[in-house]
Amino acid sequence: MKRVLIILPLCLASLQAGAFSPQVQGYIQELKAEVKKTDPSFSDFSIERGKEVFTSVHVGKKGEKISCTSCHNANLRDKGENVHTAKMIEPLSPSANPARLTKLKDVQKWLRRNFNDVYNNDGTALQRGDVLYYINAN
Amino acid sequence: MKKLFMLMFISASFMWAGGLKPVDNVLYQEECGSCHFAFQPGLLPSRSWEVMMGKLTDHFGVDASLDAPTMQTLLTYMQQNASEKATGYKRSYKMNRSIGRYETPLKISEVAYFRDKHRAIRPAMVNQKEVRSISNCVACHKDAAAGDFHDTFVPNYGVIDD
Repeated sequence: MKRVLIILPLCLASLQAGAFSPQVQGYIQELKAEVKKTDPSFSDFSIERGKEVFTSVHVGKKGEKISCTSCHNANLRDKGENVHTAKMIEPLSPSANPARLTKLKDVQKWLRRNFNDVYNNDGTALQRGDVLYYINAN
Repeated sequence: MKKLFMLMFISASFMWAGGLKPVDNVLYQEECGSCHFAFQPGLLPSRSWEVMMGKLTDHFGVDASLDAPTMQTLLTYMQQNASEKATGYKRSYKMNRSIGRYETPLKISEVAYFRDKHRAIRPAMVNQKEVRSISNCVACHKDAAAGDFHDTFVPNYGVIDD
């Protein structure tokens, strides 16, 4: 019985894979509303566009060419390495690292910092939603 | 004479509480340590930390911005443990002593004591994939997080004596 009690939540959790935490889901809704303001025909964020956000190269805050994959591994399930400091970065993929995309405060902190570092701006609501879908799908 | 040396040696070994007070704040370890080695606050004076934390949106060219309450909590911890407060620790004492009264260094690696201790380090030793930056303490000082910078082994170059 005890074992069932342990396994059952795990099964339920695995069914939930792919879903955002309630906190982050709320933020996704906010981003959608933001995009709809300027594009009434907008329906949903796209993993495909998110991949472009994540892998494309830009002149970042330092004036040097950089992309998200400069620090985060292009394979999101693998560890990455900070390009400036060589510090190891835990995998970004929620399937490899369940702590990812759970706390909204962390999600917003890193989106703000990393869009600035890579794009030299805060990122649009569309870019933010798309890249969150991409990260979540990997 | 032998006794005198012995006495000097013993008293010297009791002089310091340690090399550098290790980080003992979880928030500091998590926030600062997510991008780089969590440098002990005892490496720089309070005034340096205050300036640094005041411009986290441009932290050596990188956006390291924090919400205001988190920033303030960290700054308080950093100032309480800054080099001029942690004088019982050898490295804090020596770092602090080598910084001019009117200087506010932001780079630990530009402080005279640090530079002197690293004078034998050639660019090639740093610019290799195992190290990459002079700020990557643990690459060569395996006990750096414990505040012990005595043991030094540069990858591919070996032990460096100072």
